[in-house]
Amino acid sequence: MSAQVSLSCDRLERYLGEEEERVHALRGVSLAIESGSVHAVVGPSGCGKSSLLYILGLLDTPDAGRVSIETETVSHLSDDELAQKRNKFIGFIFQFHFLMEDFTAQENVMIPMRKLGQLSDEQMRDRAADLLDGVGLGGKLRRPSRHLSGGEQQRVAIARALANDPRVILADEPTGNLDTANSERAFELLQNLVHERGKALLLATHNPAIAEACDWIHEMRDGVIIDSQLRTRRS
Amino acid sequence: MTPPLYIALRFLTHRKRALLLSLSGVVFGVAIFICTQAQTQGFSRYFIESNIGSNGALVVRSRFRPRYEPLMVAAKNSKGTTGRRIYFEGITNPNEIMRVSREFPDVISCSPVLRGTVSARAGFENATVDLYGIDPSLHAQTTDILRQLIDGNFDDFRNNTTAIIIGSRLAELLQIAVGDTVQLLAPNGEYWRFNVAAIARAGIGSIDSTRIYSHAKIAQALLQQPSGASMIIYKLRDRNRAPVLASRFETLFQHNALSWQEREESTLQLFLTLRMSVAITVSLIILLAGFGIFNVLTMSVLAKIKEIAILRSMGYRRRDISAIFLWQGALIAAAGSLLGCLLGALMTWGVSHIPIRLRGLLYTNYFLVTWDWQHYAFATFLALVAVFIASYVPARRAAELPPVVTIRGSR
Repeated sequence: MSAQVSLSCDRLERYLGEEEERVHALRGVSLAIESGSVHAVVGPSGCGKSSLLYILGLLDTPDAGRVSIETETVSHLSDDELAQKRNKFIGFIFQFHFLMEDFTAQENVMIPMRKLGQLSDEQMRDRAADLLDGVGLGGKLRRPSRHLSGGEQQRVAIARALANDPRVILADEPTGNLDTANSERAFELLQNLVHERGKALLLATHNPAIAEACDWIHEMRDGVIIDSQLRTRRS
Repeated sequence: MTPPLYIALRFLTHRKRALLLSLSGVVFGVAIFICTQAQTQGFSRYFIESNIGSNGALVVRSRFRPRYEPLMVAAKNSKGTTGRRIYFEGITNPNEIMRVSREFPDVISCSPVLRGTVSARAGFENATVDLYGIDPSLHAQTTDILRQLIDGNFDDFRNNTTAIIIGSRLAELLQIAVGDTVQLLAPNGEYWRFNVAAIARAGIGSIDSTRIYSHAKIAQALLQQPSGASMIIYKLRDRNRAPVLASRFETLFQHNALSWQEREESTLQLFLTLRMSVAITVSLIILLAGFGIFNVLTMSVLAKIKEIAILRSMGYRRRDISAIFLWQGALIAAAGSLLGCLLGALMTWGVSHIPIRLRGLLYTNYFLVTWDWQHYAFATFLALVAVFIASYVPARRAAELPPVVTIRGSR
């Protein structure tokens, strides 16, 4: 039996810039990401990887085509509705971790939960502590995020992306700013979370080793997915 | 606590220097506004209290009748019939007017006064004085004369028909004290001798330097006046109703009636102009504080551009982002207004203890201040409006920042 599609897009078109600088960033991109699978998007800089991620993450809107979460088409929704979907269904991890500097590691993880508003303060604290424990930062809950190392900050970002138990995790070069050891550790962590908790992960990466370790590799060039390869299939 | 408020609090408390700068602007703006309003209104209110306390909130004086001019046509811009009246000095039937007046619920009490100008002599000193012939009991009920006595005894005046009460500055001028004798010159050239039973200080230079109170019957005989009263002064439950009541009394009694607002119009306008001028100046200080907050919040938006993008990516809506910055403004305004009110009260208290020797229009040894909650409410309102305007633009700018642009730019 095939896995359920968590996130998909169909014939996405996106133009960036104005007038002479106008670029056709995405040209009819279609993609489906199933739960429990890790997808890598690879390709040279400027090929449209990030544009695809931002549109799939509902941070940007396509000029044509549609995005669906499970069976619901969401690309036509209002800004507020898209924000709500992002909060509930999508977790983001960026290259530069993007933690809130004025908050501790635990508080950073609690920020998406606060917005969702489904847990009490105590429950949010406990969940954030569990998530941080899961990424090996159980002992640094109350440490201000700016006092953590780069690798630790990226692990906090991973915990934060999982805060509202999203169905999809989108990662834009999640290991791009880390050394090899930390890269491997962060990726392994993500991979385990996806497979253990049935999430769908789409990551854009330049790192061939990481791409090779994914279930799917989608190669992009000039705004088009030119090749999609299934690398592994787990039972 | 809503997520935007929670985040706003954290943003604020982690930028202590900016917070202090914004807060101090609001605190000082509000405090100075309160303090200056307390001072300017203090002098104004003291003048009104003293004036009403001495001259009543309402005065009924000369009788009038419409002039018989059947062939005259009113001018186009004519405001009424006041220009076509014939006045007769004095009040024809004061007891009847007072009896009817007391039927009005707004009237607490009224007192007839026979007024005239005479010369006073004490030793080698002479002065022209404003003689008020009064009924001691009625006058004590209607005015603040008992409170105004700074020396002597009101009962000594009440029980002795040849006794007088003299204004404090007039007493200084004539160099007399309680127990001394003053001679008043009657129109027929005779000097009448009076004992000074008490000295009164109304606090208004023009009253204290000219007024002498005597018994009405004695004043009538001395001034050789046929009427028992040249005016009736009123104490009202609500002094602000004086103009309405004056208008009704004019129609009812056919006597000229004057409210305290009309009587002291020029002085009141002077005080009002002064208050407005100071209020405008101080409002500018609050606006400057608002400008400071605008700068601080704009800088904050620029500094937090990355955080805004993160929050948007985590599902925070535009209005949540906007609320974060509006909350920051609201928190500064609330804390600044509260501290400003406290500082304003402290400054007002301090100013009220500054010694100042005024012996002109008003008599006072200290700065006069008014404690009025409306000053605090208005200063707070002004601060809230200024801060809201100052926060609105940065908040809107923050909400409209496209997160993708920031995230792309950080790559």
